[in-house]
Amino acid sequence: MIGTGARENGSASPPAGAGGPHPSGGKAGPSHRTRRRPRRHLGLAARVTTTFALGALALSGALASITYFSVRSSLISQEESTLAHEAIANAEAVKAQIEVHDPYIPSALASVNGARGAESILEEANEWYPSSPSGVSESDIPAKLSELVRSGHLAEQLIDLGGTPVLIVGVPFLHTATEHVAYFQIFDMSEVAGTLSTLLGALILAAVVTTLLGAIVGRWGARRALRPLRQTARAALSIAGGQLDTRLESDAYSDLAVLTSAFNKMADGLQDRIEREAHFTSDVNHELRSPLTTVATALSVLEARRQELPERAQKALDLLSAEVKRFRRLVDDLLEISRLDAGLGEMNREEVSLGPLVEHAVAATRHHVLIDVSPDVAERRVMADKLRFERVVANLLENAERYAGGATRVVVEADGPWARVAVEDRGPGVAPEERERIFDRFSRGTSGRRRGAGDGTGLGLAIVAEHARLLGGRVWVEPNGSRGARFVVELPVQPLPEPEASETPPRRPPPRKAAKPAPARPAGGQPLSSEVASPGSAPPQPAGRDR
Amino acid sequence: MASRILLVEDDERIRTSMRLSLEDEGYDVEETESGEDALEAHARSLVGPSFELIVVDIMLPGMDGFACCRELRKVSSVPIIMVTALTDTNHVVTGLEAGADDYVTKPFEPKELAARIRALLRRARATDGGPVSLVFGDLEIMPEAGVVRSQGEEVHLTRTEFLLLCELAANAGKVLSREQLLERVWSYDYFGDGRLVDVHVRRLRTKVETDPSDPRHVLTVRGLGYKLAP
Repeated sequence: MIGTGARENGSASPPAGAGGPHPSGGKAGPSHRTRRRPRRHLGLAARVTTTFALGALALSGALASITYFSVRSSLISQEESTLAHEAIANAEAVKAQIEVHDPYIPSALASVNGARGAESILEEANEWYPSSPSGVSESDIPAKLSELVRSGHLAEQLIDLGGTPVLIVGVPFLHTATEHVAYFQIFDMSEVAGTLSTLLGALILAAVVTTLLGAIVGRWGARRALRPLRQTARAALSIAGGQLDTRLESDAYSDLAVLTSAFNKMADGLQDRIEREAHFTSDVNHELRSPLTTVATALSVLEARRQELPERAQKALDLLSAEVKRFRRLVDDLLEISRLDAGLGEMNREEVSLGPLVEHAVAATRHHVLIDVSPDVAERRVMADKLRFERVVANLLENAERYAGGATRVVVEADGPWARVAVEDRGPGVAPEERERIFDRFSRGTSGRRRGAGDGTGLGLAIVAEHARLLGGRVWVEPNGSRGARFVVELPVQPLPEPEASETPPRRPPPRKAAKPAPARPAGGQPLSSEVASPGSAPPQPAGRDR
Repeated sequence: MASRILLVEDDERIRTSMRLSLEDEGYDVEETESGEDALEAHARSLVGPSFELIVVDIMLPGMDGFACCRELRKVSSVPIIMVTALTDTNHVVTGLEAGADDYVTKPFEPKELAARIRALLRRARATDGGPVSLVFGDLEIMPEAGVVRSQGEEVHLTRTEFLLLCELAANAGKVLSREQLLERVWSYDYFGDGRLVDVHVRRLRTKVETDPSDPRHVLTVRGLGYKLAP
């Protein structure tokens, strides 16, 4: 059967890693994936995005640096030459002042202090004359610069003076023919520095924006490039989920035509095969059912005349009846499980009350068992597949009947969007190493082989596990206190959709993620217990009708 | 006097065993092996002793069980039980929409079939002690006479549809759940198949509503069941 290979046994395992998310129905078997490397890799989209972002960062960074440094050097050299000219002119003026009018140097300096509030300082024979007493002092002039100027060179230097960028221009001149004088003028460069820092800020911002844009473009491009892949994955998932007629559109991406056509061919083959199998199943179904109907009906005629038969014939008849019953169940179970495998089981969610649902399911099996419904569940109406739900409960009860002398209690609880039905017994229990295997097909536990095995089909629990898996839930078995077993089915249920004045009965449930716990009805503090007795003249149970 | 049952089944062995089993239950069984023969037998019964119930297999050569049901429904409201090896919802619903009152799936327990037959026959004979006439707008129901009139014209309902309508009318304005309806109309005292109710309500609407897609009488109460507008 298709699907057995990828069958998820997780649904039948005990709740390993409690607290983790519930196993979802459509998980693929991890064994088919390529071997995992120990290092975690970035996804393709993330890698493309990162590459684009880094590329954009490098490019914009380089452009910004080039721009900044070229602007800076041209701006400063232009400023330097202007200021050098100004300093030279001022030096001439100071020289003239000193030589012609006023040999007192400070006043001469003060008289020529030019524009931009530039301060100056003059050195003559190791004697320093600042233009203002509070201003620049000789210690502010770098030694190298003053050396250079004193040796007769025009020199300038950009330094940082008390937090302010300044340009110091040193102009040498001869005073009284012999004396070397060094005239230094200090220009405030903070305006230029401000311009440059504004520029730098703008360039950094531009680089950041470019990087972000690069990342966005990279992400967009990656997503776009990966879209066909994602579509393929979606289509594959949809096929896995039973939508066998899902196909990829062939003309969407011409350069991926090979992939598309290969995928579609595979899907065609798969669909064909599954449909043939389903057809075969339905043929087998019919072919087995017809003779079985005759046998069962003819047998009922014989049974009605049991008393008229000799004793040996009665024994033979009893054997025949028992085996026909089992054969019927086996056919039913086999057909049910093959339908589940072929994905032919339909989902019919309808609104039901949890408590009565379980009570009816129990009543239909005609087992006398105490039902313990927690008060918040009793009247809670939920969306659930009634027939599947009943089937699961019935199979668990039958299992308990057959292998453990009957269920002792059925507990119904709700936990958010999950409904839990636990069937407890006081039988021999299930050995730990069998707790998973017991849900496999035709695998009865050791206790199952000992008692009542002749009556079971070996498929009941496997069917429970399949239903639970298809309903998005799970089933497991745990010890029931000191003695016996406790089979727990956990199924997702949905609260009722908002009541509408709609005419059609709700056939499609709301998406599962919208599931919220339904408001609990006010109920008494005591758990509701009810002894359900099978009605004496109940019509036959509906077990045969729901598949 | 034993109830007469018409059995339509092409497989001779099944047919024979079913006849033996039904005769054990005390019914007077007439066999036919095709849908065409069944229609003929039914036509003959109109002048002779009539059938109180018909059991139809779906997989028949020639005219299939669905078509046979539809043809029978054109002339009769006799209770019909459909026997099917096909368990797809589609087939069950198709059968019910073709006019069947109930269905069993092969291989059925002979007792199960007998119980269904008993329930349908008991219901068919049951007389309602209710009021003579109930009027809901353009809809008039006479439970005693078994007559329903829509806009003055008599409407032909099957027994199941009629009982369904009477049950809703007796509780006009009150919501009846699918389970309640199954219990009261089909006499099932267990959790039956809600689709029986849904399909029969749908069929009922096509007969008593002026616009079945916008029903005025038989209303769905979402999440609860159905009710008849008072």
